[in-house]
Amino acid sequence: MIAKKISANVVALVVALFFAFPTYWMVSTALKPRKDLLSTGYDLVPFSVTGSNFATAWAKPGFLSALGNSLMVALGAVLAAIVVGLLAAVALSRMRFRGRKSFVMLMLVAQMAPFEALLIPMFLMMRDLDLLDRLPALALIYFAVTLPFCAWTLRGFVNGIPLELEEAAMVDGCGRWGAFRRVTLPLLGPGLVATSVFAFVTAWNEFLFALSLMKDQTKETLPVWLSGFQTNFGTDWGGAMAASALFTLPVLVFFLIVQRKMVTGVTAGAVKG
Amino acid sequence: MTAVHTTDAAVPTNSSSAPRRAAPDGAPRRRAGAFDRALPYLLLAPAVVAILWMIGWPVLSVVVTSFRKLNLRELTRGEVVWTGLDNYVEILGDPAFWGIAARTVVFTALVVAVSVLAGLLIALLMRQISPFVRIVLQVAMLLAWAMPLLAATTVYQWIFDQQYGILNKTLVKIGFDSFTGYSWFSTGTSTLAVIGLLIVWQAVPFLAFSLYAGAIGIPKDQYEAAGIDGASGWQTFRAVTWPELRPLLLMVTFLSLLWDFKVFAQIWAMKKGGPDGGSTTLAVYQYLEGISKSHFGVAAAVSVVMVALLALLTFQYLRRLVRSQEGEL
Repeated sequence: MIAKKISANVVALVVALFFAFPTYWMVSTALKPRKDLLSTGYDLVPFSVTGSNFATAWAKPGFLSALGNSLMVALGAVLAAIVVGLLAAVALSRMRFRGRKSFVMLMLVAQMAPFEALLIPMFLMMRDLDLLDRLPALALIYFAVTLPFCAWTLRGFVNGIPLELEEAAMVDGCGRWGAFRRVTLPLLGPGLVATSVFAFVTAWNEFLFALSLMKDQTKETLPVWLSGFQTNFGTDWGGAMAASALFTLPVLVFFLIVQRKMVTGVTAGAVKG
Repeated sequence: MTAVHTTDAAVPTNSSSAPRRAAPDGAPRRRAGAFDRALPYLLLAPAVVAILWMIGWPVLSVVVTSFRKLNLRELTRGEVVWTGLDNYVEILGDPAFWGIAARTVVFTALVVAVSVLAGLLIALLMRQISPFVRIVLQVAMLLAWAMPLLAATTVYQWIFDQQYGILNKTLVKIGFDSFTGYSWFSTGTSTLAVIGLLIVWQAVPFLAFSLYAGAIGIPKDQYEAAGIDGASGWQTFRAVTWPELRPLLLMVTFLSLLWDFKVFAQIWAMKKGGPDGGSTTLAVYQYLEGISKSHFGVAAAVSVVMVALLALLTFQYLRRLVRSQEGEL
């Protein structure tokens, strides 16, 4: 029994190694001096450490503009999707009206829309709107991609907040808006954060539309810029890894925040019994 | 991107029964009633308009475009040339297309099968290990999950690099001398194997976390009962774990199919569908025809075939999902 337990733990550690290794390798390569990278020596642990690769990546032409473009497009899209999605979620969760079921169905089905297969009509549409090579085209598409997910997920979080809380606030003299703003919205906080993070990561990662619609190099987003690293970096793997690490960092931070927030639960302790 | 947690059945709420203050200026109640009735539609309007405009319209448009001859010439001149089924005849009559379609289906099936199986095994493993090791494993998986697709692709290219990649160096070190300067990207199959590994590596954490959440939800007494009955590990899995996890497994398999069938970024960034078209899938083919060659009509037909194939793969589950949701509303 104990032998079984130990072997399970050993297997788990090996699996953990498999998942963590690429991240470790990215960071350790980014920290290695250039001459150590293009050698045939075997160095799982860097012999010496330098920050110059990060400086190289940061100063590469296009990196900063790509970073700015990515941030702008992703944040704009997510902000819009969260606001619009929350409005829809509140209606679908808290109100009863004719056609409610069909609207819920619409959100469910829209989430499964295979966006990649809509590349051609999106391209033609953005061309007609004269938005090719313009960042709002991407923001608009990422908004549409994440909206059904945001509406659906937020509806779940609103469902999780007991209506009694809002009613109690209204008995205490809050208007409906006041009850929503003072009671539901704060309780919704963790749900909003989690939903925004997942929407942000989707937009941050998106590649196909960014590649197809932004042919102008100054409009490249980070994924597209990084995919051309061989033209940017040649065999400078240290620089490429440093750029990848910088690209990963915001997502990692967001994921860690969500992990903590999610544990606290949505309405933990709000209604006892 | 699809929500995974289906929430508990919504408690039917009736907002109009909630106590409401009379409007301070003493406006007639009837007006407030009309506003209340319109409110849900007003709240939903932006979302519905956006979905119909940015999803509904493109869906119609892709089908319509697939019946048109639309190359750069027609596009710049603004000509509308209907060709009926010509685009479909062109792609379906091309043996290369069938090769790409078959490759896409096989690749998707393998990636989904391996990642769901690995996710299930890791989820079950997580129940057996000590809390500390579990946290280590979870953090490791979080790292893989959080890495942006393109960063991960770049890192894998570096690991699998022909000359200085750590994989070849390690293989040589442990005695496989034939891997000195071995190229992992010399054939389509081996390129796809590396891409498949990359996709599995990033997909498993989500699957394992979801299935683990499902697995710890299975009541303990069921396992105790199985233990008292003297069931072996495999029997316990068959009798207790499997039936409880089946719905969740179906759900994540469905989601994985949906995601992995359309993979484009990793394949394109790795070798642009090469070498020699050997790692081209339908998503890559669609991009090559549509965006690279500006054959919009043909590319739209490819998109339609793609969706049809995907629908064929997921139809049964989709029907059940929609039906179960209807029951829950």
